[in-house]
Order: sequence, then structure tokens, then C-alpha cells
Amino acid sequence: MTLHDDIDIYLAAELHNELSAKEQSALHSHLLDCAACRKLHQETKAMNKILEENLATEKADPAFEQRMLAGFRNRIPQRTGGLAKLIVDLMRLRSAQIAAVAAVLLALVQVGRMVTGEASMPSRKREYVADAEYRAQPMNAPASAPAEEALTTSNELAAGRADSSARAEMAVDSVASGQQLEDEKKELGQLHQPRAAKLAKAQELPSADAYQDKDRAAQQPPEQSPTANRKLIRNAGVELEIASFDDTVPKITAFASEERGYVATTNSQKQANGKLRGTVVVKVVPENLDRFLQKIRGLGELKNQTLGTDDVTKAYFDTDARLKNARVMEQRLIDMLKTKTGKVSDLLQVEKELARVREEIEKMQGELKFWDSQVQFATVTISLAEKDMEEPAAFLLKERAQLALYSPDVEKIYNDIKALASPKVQITNAQLDRDNTGRVSARLSILMAPEESDAQIAKIKAMGRVENFQVQTERVTQGGTGMSENAKTKRDKVELNITISREEQEQSFQQTNLRIRTSAVDEKAKELRGLAEKEAGRVLSSSFSRDPNGREFANVCLRVPMKNYPALMQSLEPLGKVENVSVHRQDRTGAQIDEANAPADVSIQVYSQGNIVSQQSGLLATLRRTIAQSAAAIMWSVRMIGVAIAFLAPWVIALVALGWLTRRAIRARR
Amino acid sequence: MMDANEREVYRAAIHGDRDAFEMIIRTHSRQLFAIAYGILQNREEAEDAVQDALVKAWKSRWRVRHPEKFPAWLCMIARHRARDVFRRRRVPETLEGHALSCPTISHTDATDPNALDRQLHSALATLPELHRSALTLRYFEELDYASIEKLLGLSNGALRGILGRALAAMRKQLRPALASLE
Repeated sequence: MTLHDDIDIYLAAELHNELSAKEQSALHSHLLDCAACRKLHQETKAMNKILEENLATEKADPAFEQRMLAGFRNRIPQRTGGLAKLIVDLMRLRSAQIAAVAAVLLALVQVGRMVTGEASMPSRKREYVADAEYRAQPMNAPASAPAEEALTTSNELAAGRADSSARAEMAVDSVASGQQLEDEKKELGQLHQPRAAKLAKAQELPSADAYQDKDRAAQQPPEQSPTANRKLIRNAGVELEIASFDDTVPKITAFASEERGYVATTNSQKQANGKLRGTVVVKVVPENLDRFLQKIRGLGELKNQTLGTDDVTKAYFDTDARLKNARVMEQRLIDMLKTKTGKVSDLLQVEKELARVREEIEKMQGELKFWDSQVQFATVTISLAEKDMEEPAAFLLKERAQLALYSPDVEKIYNDIKALASPKVQITNAQLDRDNTGRVSARLSILMAPEESDAQIAKIKAMGRVENFQVQTERVTQGGTGMSENAKTKRDKVELNITISREEQEQSFQQTNLRIRTSAVDEKAKELRGLAEKEAGRVLSSSFSRDPNGREFANVCLRVPMKNYPALMQSLEPLGKVENVSVHRQDRTGAQIDEANAPADVSIQVYSQGNIVSQQSGLLATLRRTIAQSAAAIMWSVRMIGVAIAFLAPWVIALVALGWLTRRAIRARR
Repeated sequence: MMDANEREVYRAAIHGDRDAFEMIIRTHSRQLFAIAYGILQNREEAEDAVQDALVKAWKSRWRVRHPEKFPAWLCMIARHRARDVFRRRRVPETLEGHALSCPTISHTDATDPNALDRQLHSALATLPELHRSALTLRYFEELDYASIEKLLGLSNGALRGILGRALAAMRKQLRPALASLE
């Protein structure tokens, strides 16, 4: 390509100032050489000028941008707010994205948990606390909340950081509910127990400042604590399991006197199995209570122990103060009687008042003395129980028998058994049923003295064919549970339940099915009945039918005793062609069966060949069947397609909706 | 290349910043008008086409992957829009278009400015639309070749060819008028 060929392009570029310096000089030198191109150059210049002058007038006017903006604003109104926009804006934030992902993960985990049915551990624990609170409530309602607090802040409290007496008191209140918790949960209880002791001490102190001191005091034995002028009633309960009650009581007495105490009361009871159970109440000096309990424990196996302290200081000193006042009052009344000489009625009044005051004084003195005695001695209640308290005293052997009899004559046996009744054989229930088809069955329950039972059962068994006989023996303990070497065993009355049924109702021992093909069906069926009677059997049922193709069927059901069964089978041979012989035998486990006499059922179908071509075969019938079957097959597939569509449609709809929403969301984000 | 600031404006507009988009309307709508006019040769229609193109661009702004290609994409929408308008118009105006395509340029009218104008337009109408758009971009907005190439998605050689051929064609058609002018 030469410059001359591309002259148009060079000329245009030259006019538009888009030529490089090299191209510019090349063009100029060519224009000097080529007159034709020089002419084109001139024309192009003029063309350019026309375009610049005329075409430029068509360009957009100055207000064009404003119009565009206004039009744009008009057609796309600024959306203010808008939930979707808010969410989209929110999702641009990195933190919001992370939070959303976390929320989705959490939701998935929760769903998984729900699906697998796994309960999370922490929530269970919380439930427990709530439960404990709930139980503590009836006892000490206002303290339930602090109880939990006390549990969680136990370390703080132990360090003595509780800074107000009110808080200390609240914590003390919580002890009661705390002990409830202790019973229920060991792990919490372990944490709680030492603190409960500390708090019990804290109860006696006015402020939490002393609380810290008390922590130290709690380490020391209770005897040395500053409770000397306090009136404390101590009592204890011990439950022991011991070898012998009579050996233990003197030992307790000896321990009591060793510890400056005495046995207050003793009582004992003898159980049905000869074991002793009793209570001993011992009074000992409070200082020696712990040592005494230690000794008592050595006597047997400790089952339970409780220690309690009842503080009566306030009541005691109240009463004491009132006593002093009453004494002063008494003295003044006496003085009044001595000095004043007034009217007799006034004197009498004073006397009366004096009597009342004296009575009060005595009552209060009695009260103080009672408290003194209570304080002076601690009460120990020892519950004693000998070992093997639960051993049974005797055994009772209960025997229960069940018997099923079959006989042609139910009523006779029923009456025979009823005739057996005597003082040692008592019939508790007898029932004879006859249903609307005339079948008879009977049911009897008999109670027999143990020594008579075997003979009577043998007698009843001889009356009919025994199908089932079961004996069940049960040993029942009396006065306890478990085993005992010394307990006696007694035989109880024997209970016998008998059911009597007619033989036809009995299930056959063996069942045989066979077919005989012959030309004369009716005749052969009659012959069969004769055969049955010959073999001591009975005809149970028989039927005769003829089908549209001229085939005849006779169904005969026979029952013969097992011993005659082979003979019957042989005699069937001459009747016709014996086909499809099948034999079922039901093995009844656990039943005693008289095999020779057990019934054997034989069900025989005697049939003839009939017409060769039936209406069910042939070209037309085949065609009809084929069409019907294919129609059914088509209907079936249509139904299956319907089911498939019904199954898939919701998924397709859901997926399409999801896709649409996702597209919307992506678009909104852009 | 494009400076970072401009690029940032395009990016913001793609992400739905209205202010940035309005900024782009201010700076680019004239070029879009030039392109649309090049195709339609009718000011009102071209203006409507630009307006439609802007609205369409805002609605589908998320389709743009690279912010630097935003102006070219905008021009593409404007061209499509203008072409749609043109196609819809062509059927009723076939007769008129026929008249335009066979201009009768009389020598006597050559000196008349209005007659020159008409001749110019009918000459323009015979050019392919890309040639017309390139011309309008050049003569309306006086853009340099690099900018036009970017907006129309052309290479330097192609644009030179287009403008050269367009000018030559115009020159041939308007030769009598040119002669009279000289």
C-alpha cells in the first residue's frame, strides 16, 4: 500500500491533527509530487470546514446535561429507606457479613441438635439450678435467690469479703435452702458443706466484721468457742444395725456412765421373724457428746446420724429477766400485806394478786429448770435394728395346675367332676357353655387340699383325652424377702383349672390334603364316606360343585384316629388317580399327646376333567385379556408419573424461587 | 490510561452510588448524544434514545465487571438503543428515506446555506452508521482519535480508515457544492 492509495485516510488524519511527525513529512512530500492528491487535499479541507461549521450546529445544546439528569431522576426516583436496601447496605459491612455467617452456622448447629435430639450440657445444668431453687422456695421463699448467689460467690464469702451485715444475714438465710441443694447434688454439696458450718457460726455474730474472726474460730473445736454463757440444747440421733439387741443395750449403758450420762428410756419390739428393733434414749453431758457418739458408732454399722443444736439463749434470758421482775413484784406485795392495814377487800385483792404472781414465778422457774436440764444434758436417740431384719419367717408353696380335656360327651365329664366335690375338694367355679351351633364346652376350677391333689388329678385325667396338662409351683415368702435357712416351708391348697371341649373342636394332630381325579365324582364321594366309617372316622364336611366348563368338584373332609390313618390312605388308591398329597403336622411342644388316638384330618378333593377348551382360553379371550392388561399397565404408569410429578413439583418450585431470590439479591448488591 | 479518580467514580456507580452515576451523566451524555445522533440524525429522537440508554444502564449497571470499561459499555447501550429507534422508524418512513437516499443536488441552490445543510444531511444518510457516529463524535465533541477508539471499541487503524473513507465519501457527494464554495 502506498501513501497515494491511502490518501483519503492520511488527509483526514492530517486535518484532525492525528498524524505523527514522520507521517506528516511523508504526506507533505507526496503532496508536492502528486497534483491529484493536492486537489483532493484542497477538497477535503473544504469538506472539513463545512462539517465543522454546519454539522457542529447540530450538537447538543448547553442545557442538554441538565435535561438528561432531570429525566433520569424522574424515571429512577431515589429510594429512601427500604428494608431491602438497608439489608443490602448492611451486608456490605465486613462485620455484618461475619455476624451473618456465624448466625447461619449457629442455626445449623441448633437444627442438627434438634434433629439428633441431643440436649446441650450447659442448659441442663441451668435447669438443675432452677429446679433446686424451685424446691427451696416453699421453705424459705425470700432466700432462694440469694441461695444461688451464695453458691456462686462462695469463694468471696469464705474470704470474708461480704461487707454488710444485711448481706451476711441473707447468706445465713440461704443456708437452709443450701442444705436442700446439698442433699440433691453431691458436687455442689461438697463445696457448700464447710461454708454452711461457717455461716452457722456467723449467725451468732452481729456484723460481718466479726465474720472473718469466725472463719478462724470455725477451725477450732466447738467446746472452746465463746459459747460459755449461751444456752444451747444439743441433741443427736443415731441409727445402727447391730448383731444382737440384748448385747448392745448394756454396752450403751456402760458408755453412757463413762461419759457422765445415763440411759433415759429403752424400748424394743420383736418382729415376726424373731428379730429385735428398738430405741434407746441416752442423756450425756454436752461436752462429752462427740466422744460418746464416737464410741456408739463402734457397736454396729452406722446407718444414719443427725446432730442438732437448738439455741434458747434469748428465750432463757427473757424468762430470767421476767422472773426477776416477778420476784420484785412479789416482795412488794408482801411488804404491802405487812405494812398496810386497809379494808379487808383490798387485802384480799392483794392476796389474790400475790397468788397469781407466785404461780407465774413457779411456772417460769420450772421453765428455766427444764431448759437447764436440757442444756445440761444432750439427748442422744439411738435406733437399733438387728441384722437381717428382712429375712422371711416362712415360705408358702402354691401350686396351680391346668388341664385340657377332650371328649365326645362333655356334659358327662362335667357332671362326673362335679360329683367329686367333698370338703377337701372344693369346686370354686363351674361353667357349661353351649353356643348357638350346639357346641358344648365346660370350664371348672377346683381347690384341693394338698394331700388329696395328686389322686384327684389322676382320676380326672382318666375321664377323657388329655390334651394339655401344666403344673406351676410358686414359693411365696412370708414376713420378708429373699432367702432364709431356717424358715419353714408349707404347702398351700392346689388350684386346678379344667377346660373340657368336644373332640371336633380339637385341632388335628396331622393334616393331609390330596386330590383324586376321576370321571364319576359323585359316586366316588359317596364311596369315601363309607371308607371313613369303616376306619372309625367321621365326615367333618363335604361339598359338591360344578363349574361352567363342566368340571365337577367334591370336597370331603374326614377325621380319623392316627392309628387308622395308614389304612385309610391305602383304601383311597382304588378310587382314582391320587394327586398333590401334602401332609402337615403341628408339633405342639409342652403338650402331652396320646398319639394313637389323636385326630388326623384328611381333606380330599375329588374332581373330573371337564371340557377340553374353556371359555377362558382361545384367541378372543386371550386378545381381551391382553388388551385389559395393557390398559391396566398404562393406567399404572400414568399414576406413577402423577406421583413423581407431585413429588418433584414442590422441589422444582422451591429451587426456582431460590434461584430467583439469589439473582435478585446479587443484582441488589451490584 | 484512565486515572484512578475516574476509575473510582465508575466503580462507585457500578456499586449503586447515584451521585457517581449522575456525575457520569454530566460528563458522558454529550458523547452518547453524538453517537445516537450519528445513527438517527434527529435531535429529539437522539435525546430520547440517550435518556432511555441512561435508565437502562443504571438498572443493569451490575453487569459491568471492570470499571474501566464502563464508558464503552455505556456507548454500546446507547448505540443499541438508537438502532432500535431507527429500526422502528424505518417502516413508516420508507418513502421519505427513499427520497433522502436519492438527493437531487441542484447547482443553483448550492450557495444557499439551508440547501447546503440539506445536502450535507442527505450525504451523511448514505454513510454506514458507524461512520456517522465517528464523524459526529469528532465534529460535535472534538474528541481525539484515542477517545473515539475507546468509546466505539475500535483500533487506531480502523478508526483512521473509517474517518478517511467517511470524509472521502462526503467529499464526493458534495463535490458540486464544494466547487461552488471555492
